[in-house]
Amino acid sequence: MTSTSGVTVRGLTCTYEGGSRPALAGVDCDVPPGSLTVVMGATGAGKTTLARCLTNIVPCFLPADRAGEVLLQGEPIADRRVGELAGRIGMVFQDFEAQLFSSDVTQEIVFGLEHTGVAPEEMASRVRDALSAVGLPGFEGRDPGTLSGGEKQRLSIAGLLALQPPILVLDEPTTDLDPVGRSDVFAVLAGLRRERLAILLIEHDVGAAVAADHMLLLNEGRVVASGRPREVLADVSRCAEAGVRPHDVCRVFAALGLRDPPLDIGEAAVRLRRAGLVPTASCGAPATPHEDAILRVEHLGHRFADGREALADVSFTIGRGELVALIGRNGSGKTTLARHLNGLLRPTTGRVLLDGKDLRTRPLEDVAQRVGYVFQDPDHQLFAASVTEEVAFGPRNLGLSPDEVERRVNESLAAVALEARDADPFLLDKGARQRLAVAAVLALHPEVLVLDEPTTGLDWPEQRHMLELLRRMQRAGRTVIVITHTPWVITEYAERVLLLAGGHLRYDGPVRGFFADPGRVAEAAFQAPDVTRLGQALGCTPLSVEELLSWMPREPAR
Amino acid sequence: MTLTLYVPAATPLHRLHPVTKLLALLGLVVAAFVVDRPELLLGLGLPLAVLLVLAGGGPHLRRFAPALVLIFAVTAVVWTFFYGAPTRAQGLQYGISMGIRLATFLVTGLLFLTTTRMEEVAYGLRRLGMPYLVGFTLTLSFRLVPVFFESAATIVQAQRCRGLDLRKGSWLTRLRRFVPVIVPVFIGALRRADRMAMALELRGFNSGRARTRFPRPGPGVGDLVAVAVVAATVLVYLSLWQRGRGSLGRFS
Repeated sequence: MTSTSGVTVRGLTCTYEGGSRPALAGVDCDVPPGSLTVVMGATGAGKTTLARCLTNIVPCFLPADRAGEVLLQGEPIADRRVGELAGRIGMVFQDFEAQLFSSDVTQEIVFGLEHTGVAPEEMASRVRDALSAVGLPGFEGRDPGTLSGGEKQRLSIAGLLALQPPILVLDEPTTDLDPVGRSDVFAVLAGLRRERLAILLIEHDVGAAVAADHMLLLNEGRVVASGRPREVLADVSRCAEAGVRPHDVCRVFAALGLRDPPLDIGEAAVRLRRAGLVPTASCGAPATPHEDAILRVEHLGHRFADGREALADVSFTIGRGELVALIGRNGSGKTTLARHLNGLLRPTTGRVLLDGKDLRTRPLEDVAQRVGYVFQDPDHQLFAASVTEEVAFGPRNLGLSPDEVERRVNESLAAVALEARDADPFLLDKGARQRLAVAAVLALHPEVLVLDEPTTGLDWPEQRHMLELLRRMQRAGRTVIVITHTPWVITEYAERVLLLAGGHLRYDGPVRGFFADPGRVAEAAFQAPDVTRLGQALGCTPLSVEELLSWMPREPAR
Repeated sequence: MTLTLYVPAATPLHRLHPVTKLLALLGLVVAAFVVDRPELLLGLGLPLAVLLVLAGGGPHLRRFAPALVLIFAVTAVVWTFFYGAPTRAQGLQYGISMGIRLATFLVTGLLFLTTTRMEEVAYGLRRLGMPYLVGFTLTLSFRLVPVFFESAATIVQAQRCRGLDLRKGSWLTRLRRFVPVIVPVFIGALRRADRMAMALELRGFNSGRARTRFPRPGPGVGDLVAVAVVAATVLVYLSLWQRGRGSLGRFS
C-alpha cells in the first residue's frame, strides 16, 4: 500500500438496514491515479452502493452494515464524516439540479472553498482553474439556472474539482444529458485523467467503457469480471447475463467465431476484411409506407411567452400504426413539439390535426384520451397508494363505470407485465415505475402514444422490456412516437426519424436513410450505433447486429 | 423561469456594498414611514423610480405597474372611508399619501432586488449579524423555488393528460383534485432534498474545518456617497417628523 495509490477496496460487503441480501458482497477494486475505471451492471447490481461506500454516504446518510476496507490514497476512511472527506474524494451524481446551490457560477464554486477553509487569496485562482478544467471559462457571473443540462453537470464537477480531490467518483453523470452534453462530460474526464486523477465512472452504456483503462462488471453485488474493457466486453454472454448491453463489435465477432474483438470500429473492419467477412448484401427491406394519416402537423410554429421561438414552420404527417423516433439536441424543440400533439400546448402559428380535425377545437381532456402522453420522469405523475389505484385514476376521470375501470386496469397492467397490483408505486424500481406510468396512460385507450425518453435511466433489460412493449403496442395498431437520445433504440425499433434542430425540422424519413449519411448524423450531433458504423466501414448501413450478420457470407471467402 | 429580480449590469448602484444597500433600504423605508405629506413622499418615491430605471429595472417597473396602480387605488379608497377622519376630504388626503407610501416601499424594494444578488443579500445580512445558516437557507430557497415550480407545472400537465380537471366542481372537490399534483411535488422535493444534503456534504459542508470567506471588494467612494445621501435624507425626514411638519395633522 503506497501513498501514490488512488482508491483501494478490499472485501467490501454492505447490507442496507432492512435489506434482504447484501448490496455488495466481497468487492475488491483498485483505481490508480491517472486511470479511469468504469463500473457496469444492471440496476441493483451494487454500482451506486460502491460509489456511496467510497464517500461514506453509506453509512453516514444511509444506515447499513459495512465490512471490508476502503482506502483513499492508502488511508482508511472508516468513521470519517462525508464532509471531512471533501477535498480527498469528489462525487457527482445524475441529478444535476440537486448539486447546485447558488444563483451565480462563481459562488457555486466558492461554496466548497469557503466550507473547507481554503485561504481567501487562493480562491480566485481555484475558481479560474476549476472552470477551465470543465470548459466553462467565461461563465463566472452566470446564473446556473440558465445553463444547459450538460453545462450544469460540468459546473457541479467544477465545484468539486476546486477542492482538488485526487479521486473523483461519478454515478451516471450523463444519463440525463443529450449526446453533446454527454461527450462534453467525457472530454472533461479525459482531461482529468491526464491530470493524474483516479476516476471511477458508473455508466449504463458500453460506449463509456471503450475509453476506460479498467472495467468492473457487477452482478447482484459481486464482481463477475474485472479487467481491461476489451477483455471484459469480449465475453458477450457474461455481459448480457449481468444486464449490460453487449458491445456491438463483440457480438458480431462472437457470432462469427472470431477471437479478441477490438473496440475500435476501424480496427474491427480491417479484421473482418482480412478474414474475408465482408457483407454480400447491402440493403435492408424498405420501410412500408403508411397511407392512412392519423396526425397531421401543418406549418407549426410556437413562441414562448418570453419571446423565444421554440418551433418554426414544422410540417409532417404521421400514419396510423407507425413507430416514429423524434430526435434532436436538448432544447431543439422536441418536447415542445410533442406537447402540441395532444393539445397541451397551443400553436402560435399553424395547426395540428388529429384525424383531420384541428386539436384547438377540442378540450384537452378529450384529446388526451386519443393521444396518450407519457412524461419523461414517471415520478411526475405517480401519486396513488397502490398500483391499481394509479392505473384506475385516468379511466375514473373519464367517468367510466367501475366494471369498465376494472377491466381497463387489468388489461393495462397485463400489457406492461406488472404483477404487483397492491404495491406502493413509490417503492417500485425505476423500470417498474416507468412501465406503471405507461400503463396509466394505456388505460385511457389512446390511439396514439407519445413517450418522452421512456428508456432514460433504465438498465438494458428494462430498456428492452419497455421497447418490446412499444413494439407490441404498434403491432396492435397503435401509433407510437418516441423521443429518444439512444442510437440503438432508433435503429432497432423505429421506422422513421424526425430530426429537430433549433426548432426546425431537419430530417423526416426512414431510419436507414438518416444513418446512411454520416455527414447528416454528425451535423445532428448524433452518433450511429457501433454496428451501423462498422457496416459503413464495410460498405453497407445495417441497423442491427442481426441484420449485419444476415448479410455476411456463410463461408468466409479465401 | 426565474424568480429573482436581479438584473446583471455594472451600474454604480450594482457596485455598492451589500451592507450599504441593506442600510439604505432600511433608512429609506423609515423615512417613508415617518412622514404623511404627499409631496414629501413623492420626493422620495420619484427619485427612487428614476434610479430604478437607470439601474435597468425599467421592465420590472412596467411589470409591476398594475400592482402599483392597484395598491395605490385600494389603499386610497380604504383609507378615505375607514380611517375615521373628521371630513371626507381629510380622509382622501390621508388615503392618497398612504397609497404613495406603499408604492414608494415597493419601488424601494424593487430597486434593492434589481441591483443585489441573493448571495449578496445573504452576505450583507450576515455582516449585520444574521446567523450563517439562515442566510444560506435563504439563498438555497431562491435557487430551489423555480425548480420546484417547474416540476409542479410539469406534474399538472402530466395529470391533465390523464383527464384530471382542476377547474370543475366545488371548492372542496377542487381541493381534493389537487392531491394527484401535490403528492408528486412533495415526494419529488423530498427525494431531491435527500440528494442535495449528500451533495452539500460532498462539497465540504460540515467538513469540521473553519470557514473562510471569498474576498469581496470592501466599501468604496460610491458607498460613502450613498450612505451620506441616504443618511442626510433620513435625518431631514426624521427632523420633519419630530417637529410635526411631516404629518397631515392629528385627528381626535
